[in-house]
Amino acid sequence: MIEFRDVWKSFKNVYAVRGVTCTVQDKEIFGLLGPNGAGKTTLIMTMATVYRATKGDVLVEGHNVNTEPERVKELIGIAFQDAKYDRILTAREILQWHGKVTGIDKSLREKRIDDTLAKFGLTTEARKRTWTLSGGTKKKIENAKIFVQRPKVAVFDEPTAYLDVPSRLMVWEMIDELRDEGSTVVLATNMMDEADRMSDRVGIMSKGEMVQVGPPDKLKGTLRGRDVIELKLKEPMPELLGEVTKVEEVHDARFEGDVLKLELSNGRELLPHMINVVTAKGGQIQSANLKEPSLEDVFLHYTGTKLT
Amino acid sequence: MSQSPSALSILWVLIERDLRTLVKSPWILISRTMFFFIQLFVFATLVNKLVNIPGFNYFEFYSVGAVVSTITSIAFIIGADLFEEEELGLLDYLLSLPFGHSLFVFGRALGGAVRALIYCAPMMILVAYLDGMLTPTAVLGSYVVLFVLATGISGLSITLAMVIRNENRFDVVIAMAELATVRVSAAIYPLYYIPKVIQPAAAVSPVTSASDLIRLLVLGTPTGAYELVELALFVAIFFGLGSVFLFRKLEGGRFE
Repeated sequence: MIEFRDVWKSFKNVYAVRGVTCTVQDKEIFGLLGPNGAGKTTLIMTMATVYRATKGDVLVEGHNVNTEPERVKELIGIAFQDAKYDRILTAREILQWHGKVTGIDKSLREKRIDDTLAKFGLTTEARKRTWTLSGGTKKKIENAKIFVQRPKVAVFDEPTAYLDVPSRLMVWEMIDELRDEGSTVVLATNMMDEADRMSDRVGIMSKGEMVQVGPPDKLKGTLRGRDVIELKLKEPMPELLGEVTKVEEVHDARFEGDVLKLELSNGRELLPHMINVVTAKGGQIQSANLKEPSLEDVFLHYTGTKLT
Repeated sequence: MSQSPSALSILWVLIERDLRTLVKSPWILISRTMFFFIQLFVFATLVNKLVNIPGFNYFEFYSVGAVVSTITSIAFIIGADLFEEEELGLLDYLLSLPFGHSLFVFGRALGGAVRALIYCAPMMILVAYLDGMLTPTAVLGSYVVLFVLATGISGLSITLAMVIRNENRFDVVIAMAELATVRVSAAIYPLYYIPKVIQPAAAVSPVTSASDLIRLLVLGTPTGAYELVELALFVAIFFGLGSVFLFRKLEGGRFE
């Protein structure tokens, strides 16, 4: 378990993290969601003992990062946002060194390196010096360090940045496997789909503060009543507005051109009923669209800003 | 899951990294090796013919100085490495690994010294052979002196890297420091012939001490025990200073 207790971190009087309090449970994937500059990386670095909190405490598996930094570092592995390794070395050499310094036995280390490189399709490229490789490949090697180490607490900072779609899916699968083996995963990302798909719980950060924490579905549920049904008709029929607003769950109805826009609760369940109401009154529906609140809407709601 | 490695194995892994990165930069090694051979077999041979001092062989004198100045030059690289690691953010990665800051500092200074010694070890054997003193005592004794000097120079280099924040300024200062350390010393010319104004500085230079001690071992040139004290003092000061500055940067500067 990781506990952040009123954590503050400033750099020359500018606060990058402001009073963060939250808990990451064992064996969960905790998504840290926020735009660039929200304080995600600073919070991670504070947890990893690289930065010391200006105020507050971080406890990793009960060990305080300020008083037992070495014990904490034994438990943590970080895949950084940008590739952080000796680019003069080959991928295999980088992974071997990382495995050695984190105390993995040679035979196990070599097996994990072979497996990880094979999964990423890097077996051949692993012999080249990494400075010659593409941005995506460098990122895979950064992630690979953690898949070789398999730490108790695995931290990934933007793990799929620069990666193509198949590689993203592979990284997600490997992170899932890591969690299934017993690791707790902290996943900092500014990609909504990644946070939504991967996280058991999400912490939304904005301007250094943790503004909301919870499972993605529950957070989306807090915006209940904000579903939108869009029915595109052959031609606008203003007389329909009176009919549709008779349904209790409908909060608002209006025409935007020939599109009837309904804001309502339980949109998924009410969609067939609303289609029936419109067609019963002679409306000719050409297409129907249901929009439910996304994590992006949640983010917008709690921070007042768009993520992208 | 993994086991925590011991302090010794961490030290070794840190040193190994410094060795690997040095070996992967062959042009640094090749250029310095070429410089060593050209200076020894062209410059020193030529000057030896021009110098006519009874009982003094400049080639032999210079050969020892060439190894000492080469190890000095290699040991200075560690500061540049640290500076680059800071610039590239690699230090964040290294500091997130499971070892304490003090072990990290110790490992880096030691790594700088070990790789400099490994690089210069064959040169020392060649020089001992050319000077007619290829004995285990002479060679091993010289290695000890070279290692001690390299440790101090690594400390000096780390100190400079930690004090200077601008990369261009650092490059200039490190080049000047390297030049001054080697030239203001009795590594490549006898102390007696050095201009009077810099003679006192050259006399207490650690490079002079190391050169004189190795000349005692391979050429039998007499020297005083004070050379040992001077060398030890240099190492204590700069290894200590380098460690303190690096440690303070890790604990202080980064950990505001």
